[in-house]
Amino acid sequence: MADFTAWLEGTGIATWTRESGSIWAYPTILTLHTIGLGIVVGASAVLDLTLLGYAPRLPLPSLRPLFRVIWWSFALNALTGVVLFMADATVKSHQIVFYVKLTLIALALWNTALVRRAVFGGPNVEPASASTVTSGGRRLAAVSLVLWAAAITAGRLMAYL
Amino acid sequence: MDPFVAWLKTTSLSQAIVLTRWVWPLCETLHFIGLSLVVGVVGFFDLRLMGFMKRIPVVAVRDLMPFALAGFTLNLITGIIFLIGLPEQYVHNRAWWMKVLFLVVAGGNAAIFERWVGARAAMVGANEDTSAGAKLIGAASLFAWFGVLYWGRMLPFIGNAF
Repeated sequence: MADFTAWLEGTGIATWTRESGSIWAYPTILTLHTIGLGIVVGASAVLDLTLLGYAPRLPLPSLRPLFRVIWWSFALNALTGVVLFMADATVKSHQIVFYVKLTLIALALWNTALVRRAVFGGPNVEPASASTVTSGGRRLAAVSLVLWAAAITAGRLMAYL
Repeated sequence: MDPFVAWLKTTSLSQAIVLTRWVWPLCETLHFIGLSLVVGVVGFFDLRLMGFMKRIPVVAVRDLMPFALAGFTLNLITGIIFLIGLPEQYVHNRAWWMKVLFLVVAGGNAAIFERWVGARAAMVGANEDTSAGAKLIGAASLFAWFGVLYWGRMLPFIGNAF
């Protein structure tokens, strides 16, 4: 494990990200990671708050594109996240809070898939209106908000713990 | 500016913010949660104004706006806490002034929307098109908020104040 993280840190992309001093290296990759975070969590929050009944006039079927937005922004963050990890692999691989963050993100994404199945059904199923979302669907939405907030907390704490 | 910064740093509030270990990480965490709410809700509203997701009546999206306002308030408060804690880190930083500028643009754009466009835009129902003015304001808002996010994240890297 120690050999592997040291190798990761020594790769060209990791070294460039960490040491080049270019605005396009660490600063831009970190900024893209933050923009992706805002879109993933923001789009999830819009979905969750609607399922919880805060936008009763919003037709649920029209929220379906949000799932694609969430997955694409997550892909951006998985990619930028891997590079950010590589640049500092020997340190980050020893941070417990890093593994907590990864676990929370995995749970939040799994939960998003559950929301999609529970409320939006299959690709050809019209979801119910927000007023008829089951208590199970609402519970998933509430759990989603909590998981994303916890993932942000763990991510931020990586800079302090 | 510098005498004010020097005075601010001597206040017990400023010292408490910097010396209490949990204050900065907590405020940063809340700042990121707040930014997500702003990006999500305002971005969603802007996209509808611009003509995406036409199946949604504009008022239906507006119902979520209190959450964007809550996120913004959270970020204004935590942002002021950062400023009081380490004022020299911000007021001497080009990126911070750019962030403030983009905030002013976003705020002015929102004020123009509320004053002249909002009432009519709110009547735009499902499958109806917003006015050209509303589209422009939606695009400007999206640009301004991503600018705020960009300059905020670039604070430690541009301007050498950190």
